[in-house]
Amino acid sequence: MSVSLRSVPPPASAPRSPVRLQGDPGRPLTTSRGMSRMARQGLALLLIVWFALPLVPLVLWGLAEQWSFPARLPTEWGLGGVSSALAAGGAEAFARSLTLGLTVATIATPLGAVAARGLVNGWAPMPRTLTALLFSPLLIPAFVAALGTNILLLRAHVPPVMGLVLVLVAMAVPYTAFVLRTAYAAHDVGYEEEARTLGASRRRVLWQVHIPLLTPALARAAFLAFLVGWSDYIVTVFVGGGQVVTLPLVTASAASGVGNDAVVAVLSLAAILPPVVLLAVLANSRWRTEGAV
Amino acid sequence: MTPGPARFLVLVAAIPAAIVVVGGLGFTVAQSLGLLPLVGPARLSVDAYTGVASELPSSIAVSVGIAVASTTLAVLVGGTAAVLIVAGGRLARVLIGLGAATVTVPHLIGAAAIGLLLADSGLLARTFQVPPTDWPSLVGGPWWVAVILEYAWKEAAFVALVVAGTLTTRVARFDETAAVLGANRATRLRLVLLPLAAPSVILTGAITFIYTLGSYEVAWLLGRTYPEPLSVMAVRLYGEVSLTTRPEAAAVAVVIVTLSTLVAAAAFTLLRRSAVWR
Repeated sequence: MSVSLRSVPPPASAPRSPVRLQGDPGRPLTTSRGMSRMARQGLALLLIVWFALPLVPLVLWGLAEQWSFPARLPTEWGLGGVSSALAAGGAEAFARSLTLGLTVATIATPLGAVAARGLVNGWAPMPRTLTALLFSPLLIPAFVAALGTNILLLRAHVPPVMGLVLVLVAMAVPYTAFVLRTAYAAHDVGYEEEARTLGASRRRVLWQVHIPLLTPALARAAFLAFLVGWSDYIVTVFVGGGQVVTLPLVTASAASGVGNDAVVAVLSLAAILPPVVLLAVLANSRWRTEGAV
Repeated sequence: MTPGPARFLVLVAAIPAAIVVVGGLGFTVAQSLGLLPLVGPARLSVDAYTGVASELPSSIAVSVGIAVASTTLAVLVGGTAAVLIVAGGRLARVLIGLGAATVTVPHLIGAAAIGLLLADSGLLARTFQVPPTDWPSLVGGPWWVAVILEYAWKEAAFVALVVAGTLTTRVARFDETAAVLGANRATRLRLVLLPLAAPSVILTGAITFIYTLGSYEVAWLLGRTYPEPLSVMAVRLYGEVSLTTRPEAAAVAVVIVTLSTLVAAAAFTLLRRSAVWR
């Protein structure tokens, strides 16, 4: 059998014939048209309103200096809500939430990677039991996990902040392990073997081949783990023992009172923006060819 | 990395889950059975369960009712959004962006936002110029409307993204083939799209249901105080000063975990029966 190495030029694309055969609609059969197309777009607009509507009062109240009741729009615009939110400890709470989210991401991402790699490569002992254990925190409501673990940690004299991080990491590992298991299943160890053959040390292969190849998945996993720490309310209340006053806690105390609408809106916007910015960065980064978040 | 240390590291990864699930759940069950009293000797008893027995039926009804309503709405809205996202176009891209942003909003923040939208002095009441006395009590009212809508809003985005994600990779070829073979739009929806979407719909629906059943902050912020959902009741009992209430809180927690496990088992059975589940 002979193998030709000469590349074959691609056939020149034939000009599209304006002549249609009988019954040819001239567009893919699956594309909607006419009434069906209008209905589809109307439905899409309705859904856009559904998803965007709850954010509207946050923006309006966030920019309202005064908004007496029957008025449709704020009666006086201004940033009074921002200064009230700062006075309520918003900035400190923001910093604490950020630290908590980053701490959870920093611990849960490598743990998820180790678990995922072990499960994919068949190193893990008792893989079925281990998978069930790793994913079981998803099945247990956060406050049940918090309540039981709290008793255990108090009896073991573990400091509240450490206990809080432990519970949140356990709740984040299912997400990081899931994302990274998919990534490791598609990961080609050939690159690492080649680097080893060329004389690179294990450490160097890890930092210069392994981690760069998995960066997109690691970033997605870290983002999800960050969200677990950033969003949590009930575990922080229970296990944090009042020592860690995060943004959701400050927002909750403002929202359960009356007449704090502007403060609630500003704190809420502060809680919504960082993940959305991170999401936009992830979606537009150079890794986007690997798939959206 | 050699299998030796890797094997050890895999076990390290499971330590937090082991402490939280085995330890947390074990201590909760033990406390509900009177084995971990704050003072005095441990004694096996079901006093904590009989103590909350009179309130349990109404609380279970409220919790399950909220979970059923929220999950149904989330699956309907999210499923529709997924079908529209898969169809593509400019509006589909807006939907993806909004959906992804919604998924990242913490539930507590979502509850605050829904409160500002639906309360009797909220944005909608102002927009339609309805005086507070005539505005339906959506927040803190008898039908838990604001609570259900908050869960449905957030979880619909989650359902939409996951279902769209599984559909985009597989649906186009099947859909085209069916269209060429003469299937009309309704037939393709029924025989191609829905069966392909079924596993991810069941999975996201079950996750939504279990999350809603065990979630606290939304029902606490937007709900009413009687009858209480299970999670609100458990947290209140845990916070009370009396010595008997902590085991009772643990008993309510055990009830929630039992219900969640039943739902998860049912979802898993359904998944295994669905045709395209691998």
